[in-house]
Amino acid sequence: MEDPRDRQYTNGEITVFWKPSKCIHATTCFRELIEVFNPGRRPWVNMEGAPTRRIIEVVKKCPTQALEFKYNREMDQDEIESNNPVVAEETPETLNRKEEKEEENQTRPTRINLMKDGPIVVEGDFKVIGPEGNTLKSMLMTSFCRCGGSKSMPFCDGTHRKIGFSEKD
Amino acid sequence: MMENKNTQFKVNADGPLEISGEFELFDTSGEIITRQGPIYLCRCGNSKDKPFCDGSHKASDFSG
Repeated sequence: MEDPRDRQYTNGEITVFWKPSKCIHATTCFRELIEVFNPGRRPWVNMEGAPTRRIIEVVKKCPTQALEFKYNREMDQDEIESNNPVVAEETPETLNRKEEKEEENQTRPTRINLMKDGPIVVEGDFKVIGPEGNTLKSMLMTSFCRCGGSKSMPFCDGTHRKIGFSEKD
Repeated sequence: MMENKNTQFKVNADGPLEISGEFELFDTSGEIITRQGPIYLCRCGNSKDKPFCDGSHKASDFSG
């Protein structure tokens, strides 16, 4: 479904798609690449701030589908990847390691990460129970407000940044 | 696939987030803090013992 808040940004080589409704404010993008992803600026994405290869790396680290990208032309994909290989070639050894890692992901406990001056980001297979004992959500990833200011409690809506929340206080 | 359905996040009314079951809690630099529940994490922003709750939500009249 089309959301009027969705945006796209291009540098001619790739287009980055921004879907705010999917963002859980994990802050990965701007901690990694503030030159491109700067929430204090409008527009908040500056495609001229870093080389395409670097933008792709960071977009791929977005834990949800809030940030995605596509190559503007298939030709560009070959060219960009051949000049700057993003992914190393697979060997039987790396494939084995990958399988082991996937297995580990499936059996490991739910991971709870505290974001500096930001939310509690949760990854795994878990349940969220509301104050009345009702199940709010059963999901694989979410983030909980830690600043007390979210308008969509108990979840993070990015307010911590606007109010300058500091966990040191 | 082994499921961790037993990890539960209970949102206490106007109070902390209560976490129980199988989990790992990491600090802001990625170091593990604890695996042992139940734990109570601050949701009001006012605890002096972050990330844990210290009861400050009562004094600050936190609602959420």
